[in-house]
Amino acid sequence: MDLIRNHILSILIFLPIAAGIALVIVPRRYAVFIRWFAFISGLVAFALSILLFLWFRSNMAGWQFEEFAPWIRVLPRVVEGETRYAINYHLGIDGISLFLIMLTTFLTPVAILASWRGITERAREFYVALLLLEGAMIGVFSSLDLILFYVFWDAMLIPMYFIIGVWGYENRIYASIKFFIYTLVGSLLMLAAIIYLGLQNPAGLTFDLTELVAADIARSVQYWLFLAFGLAFAIKVPVFPLHTWLPDAHTEAPTAGSVILAGILLKMGAYGFLRFCLPLFPEASVHFAPLMIVLGVIGIIYGALVAYSQPDIKRLVAYSSVSHLGFVVLGIFALNIQGIQGALLIMIAHGLSTGALFLIVGMMYERRHTRLMSDYGGVWRRMPFFGAFFIIAALASLGLPGLANFPGEFLVILGTFAAANWVYALLAASGVVFAAIYILWLYGNVMQGPVEKPEVEAMRDLSVREAFVLAPVVIFIVLLGVFPGVVLDRTAVSSEAILEQVRPDESRTSLGRGAWAIEVRGIGTHALRPKTDSPQPVPHFLVEGGEEQ
Amino acid sequence: MLPAYPYLILSAVLFTTGTLGVLIRRNPIIMFMSIELMLNAANLAFITFARYQQSMDGHVFVFIVMTVAAAEVAVGLGIIVAIFRLRGNINVDELDEMKG
Amino acid sequence: MTIPVSAADWIVINTELILVGTAMIVLLLDAFNRRISDRISPWITLVGVVGGLVSLGFLWGQEYTGFAGMLVIDSFSVLVKMAILFGTGLAVLLSVDYLRREELAQGEYYGLLLLSTVGMLLLTSSANLIMIFLSLEMLSIALYVLTGYARMRPRSQEAGMKYFLLGSFSAAILVYGVALIYGALGTVDLAGVAEALTAPGILSNPVLLAGAGLVLVGLGFKVAAVPFQMWTPDVYEGAPSPVTAFMSVSTKAAAFAALTRVLVFAFSDLSGVWMAVIWAIAALTMIFGNLVAIAQNNIKRMLAYSSIAHAGYILVAVASANQLGIQSIPFYLIAYTFMNIGAWAVVTVITRKGEEGVGLSDYTGLFWRNPLLAVSMGLFMFSLAGIPPTAGFTAKIYLFMAAVNANLIGLLIVAVVTTIISAYFYLRVTVIMFMHRPSEVSAVHVPIAAYVAIIIAVVATLWLFLFPNSTQAFTEAVWRMGL
Repeated sequence: MDLIRNHILSILIFLPIAAGIALVIVPRRYAVFIRWFAFISGLVAFALSILLFLWFRSNMAGWQFEEFAPWIRVLPRVVEGETRYAINYHLGIDGISLFLIMLTTFLTPVAILASWRGITERAREFYVALLLLEGAMIGVFSSLDLILFYVFWDAMLIPMYFIIGVWGYENRIYASIKFFIYTLVGSLLMLAAIIYLGLQNPAGLTFDLTELVAADIARSVQYWLFLAFGLAFAIKVPVFPLHTWLPDAHTEAPTAGSVILAGILLKMGAYGFLRFCLPLFPEASVHFAPLMIVLGVIGIIYGALVAYSQPDIKRLVAYSSVSHLGFVVLGIFALNIQGIQGALLIMIAHGLSTGALFLIVGMMYERRHTRLMSDYGGVWRRMPFFGAFFIIAALASLGLPGLANFPGEFLVILGTFAAANWVYALLAASGVVFAAIYILWLYGNVMQGPVEKPEVEAMRDLSVREAFVLAPVVIFIVLLGVFPGVVLDRTAVSSEAILEQVRPDESRTSLGRGAWAIEVRGIGTHALRPKTDSPQPVPHFLVEGGEEQ
Repeated sequence: MLPAYPYLILSAVLFTTGTLGVLIRRNPIIMFMSIELMLNAANLAFITFARYQQSMDGHVFVFIVMTVAAAEVAVGLGIIVAIFRLRGNINVDELDEMKG
Repeated sequence: MTIPVSAADWIVINTELILVGTAMIVLLLDAFNRRISDRISPWITLVGVVGGLVSLGFLWGQEYTGFAGMLVIDSFSVLVKMAILFGTGLAVLLSVDYLRREELAQGEYYGLLLLSTVGMLLLTSSANLIMIFLSLEMLSIALYVLTGYARMRPRSQEAGMKYFLLGSFSAAILVYGVALIYGALGTVDLAGVAEALTAPGILSNPVLLAGAGLVLVGLGFKVAAVPFQMWTPDVYEGAPSPVTAFMSVSTKAAAFAALTRVLVFAFSDLSGVWMAVIWAIAALTMIFGNLVAIAQNNIKRMLAYSSIAHAGYILVAVASANQLGIQSIPFYLIAYTFMNIGAWAVVTVITRKGEEGVGLSDYTGLFWRNPLLAVSMGLFMFSLAGIPPTAGFTAKIYLFMAAVNANLIGLLIVAVVTTIISAYFYLRVTVIMFMHRPSEVSAVHVPIAAYVAIIIAVVATLWLFLFPNSTQAFTEAVWRMGL
C-alpha cells in the first residue's frame, strides 16, 4: 500500500498510457473486449484518484504525494548539499490539482463509455488515443518541473489532434489543424519563456517550480515572461480574442473529444495561470490583472451573445464555454480568495455541466445525425428520461442555485465586487442572465413544443448504457451544487498560498463547510491585521454551524 | 630566389579562373577541368608556402591532394560516361528534370 | 628508416580498420562469386557495422591521439561516430530490399557504403585540416557513385552529376583555404592553428582570413547550409532513397563534427569574426529550409528541405559555442539520425519500383492501409517538428538552452518561429496519412529488413526522449575536447 501511496501520481499518469499501449496489441476484431478494457482502465484510474482524494490532507500546505527523480542530467549544481540537475521528473499536487485530476479521471471513462456506439471505424486506435490523452492530462496537472509540464502540455496535443481529425465530423481537418497550430504557437513561445526563466535562478539553470518561485525576478523581465506564458494559457482557456479555434474544434470533434476538450483541456489554461503565472510573476500578475478582468468580462458577454445566435447546438455549447470560462478568468485575476476559490469551483462545475451537455448532444446526434436545432422539437415527448438529464445539465449551465455552477459564479462575482469597479461585477452578473437566455432558448427549441418532424417520432429514449453515462455526471452536478465545501475545504490552503505570493500583505478570508455557510471577512478590514482603508463593502454572512479557519 | 608573391598571385589567378570556369561553362568535362585547375592552384600555393617556410609539410600535402584529384577524376569521368551513354549528350543545363 | 607506429595509432583507427576490412571482404566476395555475394553481402556489412559499434563501446570515455596528432578519439567523436554507424546500419537494412526491387548490383553498393562510412568516421576524428580534406573526399567520392547508382534512371544520374560537380567544387575551395591557412600560420594541425592564432596581430592577416573563409565555405557546402544549399534537394530527390537516407544523416554528422572542431577550437580566437557569420547562416538556413519545404509536393524534396532546416538548428548550437552547445550537438545528431532515417525508411517502403510514388498524395490514407507505417511516420514527423514526447523535442530543448545560455535571444526567436512554421508541413503529412481515406485500400508490402529498421528507429526516438542520459553524462567531458 505504501508503494502505491508513494508513487500514486506516477501510476495515475502511466497506467492509462500503459493501457493504451497494451490496447495496440489487441487484434481489431475483439471489439467488445477492447471497449470494456478501455472503460475499465478508465475506472481503475478513477478509483485511484478517489484514493488520492481520501489520502489528501486538507490542512497541509505545500505539495503532497511528491515524487522526484533526475531526468536530464545536464549542468549539475549543488542545492542543499546534494547535486541537482536542470530537468527533473518532479511531481506533486495540492488542492487545486487534486480536483482537476479527479475531473480528468472521472470524465475519461464517461467519455469512453459514451463512444461505444458512436465510434465504429478504427475504434481501437480511438480508445488508445483517449487513454494516452488521459495520461498526458494527469501529467500536466501534477508536474512541478517546468519542462516536464511543457512535455505533457504538448504531448496532450497529439492525441487530441488525431481524435478531432480522424474521427470528427465534416470540417474536421480544418478544425484539427487550427487547434494544433494555434495551441502550438502559444506553447512554443512559452517554451522560449520557460528556458529563459530557467536561467533566472541565481543558483544555476533550473526548471523546478519550487526553486523558481523562490527566486526573485526583475519586474520588466516578469512582464515579458508573463505575456509569453499568458499567451499560451490564454489561447487554451480561451480568453477573448484568442478563442477562435474553440468553436471549430468543439463542433467538429466527436462526442468524447468534445467532452474532454471542454471538460478538461480548457481548464489547463486556467490551471496554468494559477500554478505558474501568479506565483512566478506576482508583480506582473497584479499589473496585468485589470486587462485580464476586462477580457474576462468581454468573454462572458461575447460568448453568451454569440451563443444565442447559433443554429448548431454544439457550436452553441462551445460558445457557452467561452462565456463560462470568462468567469474563471475574472475570478483568477480578481486576485482575492473569493475569486480564486470561485474560479476553481467553476472549473470543476463547468467540466461537469458542459461535459454533460456535449454528451447529450452526442446522444441526439447518434439518433438523428444532425446538430441543427431546427431539426428537433418536442423531443421531450419521445424521450422523457433523457429530458430529465438534459434539464438538469441545462439549469446547471445556467447557474441555478443548488446546482454546480452557482456557488462558483456567485463567489466570482463577489470577488469581482471586492476587487474592481462594481460595473464589472454587474456586467459579469448580466452574463448569468444571458446564459439563461440561450440555454432556455436551446432547451425550448429542442425539447419542448409539439413534435413536428417524423424523424423525431422515431427517437428512442435512453439505453441503459447511456443512462450510466449521464447519471454519474448529473449526480455530481447536484452534489457539487449542494456541497461545494467538499471542494472548497481542500483548495482553500492552496488558494491562499497562491494569494500569499501575489499579495503578501492581503488579509485572509475563509470559507467554511456547507454550501450556504460562507463567512467572508472583508478585504483590508480584517480585525487582526490593521490595514489602511479599503473602498469595498464587506459582505458578512453569519450562519450557524459555519466553521472558521 | 624570387619573393613568394608572384607564385601566390599565379595561384590566385588559377583559382579564380577555375572558379569562373565552373560557374560559367556548361560542359561537365570542362567544368571538371576547371575544378582540377582549382586543385592545382592549391597545390601551387602549398609548394610555395612550403618553400618559403622551409618546411616539408606542404610538399606532402601536395601528394595527398594529387591522389585525391586522381580518384575524383576516375569517378567523375565514370559518371559523365554513364550519362553520355543514357542521353547521348552532356550539357549541364539539360540536366533539369529536377528543378534546382 | 622505420616509421614509428605506436599503440595509440592502432587504437585510434580501430573502428575504421574494422570497416575497411569488411569493405575488402565484401568487394572481394563480389569479385569472386556474384551470386553468393548478392545474398550475403548486406549481412556481412551489418556484421561489420555492429563490430564497429562494439569497438566504439570499448573506447567509451577515453581519449587518444594518434598519427602525430592527426586523429583524435574523445567523447565527442565517439558519440558522433556512433551516430554515423547507426545511420549506416539502418541504411543497410533499408537497402536490402530496395536493391533487389530496383535490380541493382549489391556487392559494390555495400563496399562503397562502407568506404564512405570510413571517410565519415575519419572526418569525425580529424584534428588536422589536411586530414579533414582527405576524409571529406573519401566520404564524398564514394557518395558520388552511390548517388548515381541507379544508372538507368535519369534522375539518379542527374543527381550523381550534380552532386559530383558541387562536391568537387567545394572540396577544391576547401583545400585552397587550407593552403592559405598553411601559408599564414605555418601549420595545418588544429591545435597548432589554435596556438598560432594567439600570436599578436595575426588576426588581421588577410591571407589567414581568406583561408578561414574558404574553409568555412567548403565545409558549409557539405553541411548544406544557406547559401551553399543549391542542388542539395535535387541530389536528395534523385538519389536512391536508402542512399539519401544515409547521406542526410551521416554526412551531416561527420561534417558538423569537423565544423565544430574547426570553428570552436581551431578558430576560437577568431570567434569575433565567425560567430556573427554563423549566426547569419544559421538564421537564413532555418528560415529558408522551413519556408521552402511548405511548397513541396514530393516527399523526398520535402525531407530534403527539412534536412537543410535541421542543419540550421545545429548551426545554432555551433554559434552558441558554450559547453551546453557542444554537448547538444552529438545528442542532436543521434536523435536526428534515428528520426530522419525512420522517415526515409517509410519513404523507401512506400515507393514503388523505379522510384514511383514519391508524391505526398501517395500517402493518402496510409493509416487505413497500414497503421504501423502511418503511426511510425507520424512519430517521425512529430519528432522532426520537435514536439514531445519524442527525441526531437529533447534535442531542441538542449539547443534552446544552449542558445539562451549564450544570450543568442534573436536566434532563439528565429528558431522558435521556424519550428512553428515547420510544424505546418510535418503536420500536413499526418493529415494526409490519417485524415483522408485512400482511394484503393491495398495493403502495403513491407519487407522485413525495413520493418526492423523502422522499429529500431521508433524505439530509439522514444528511448532517447525518456532516457537521454545515456548520451549525456558522457558528453560532460566534451568541453575539454582534446585535440
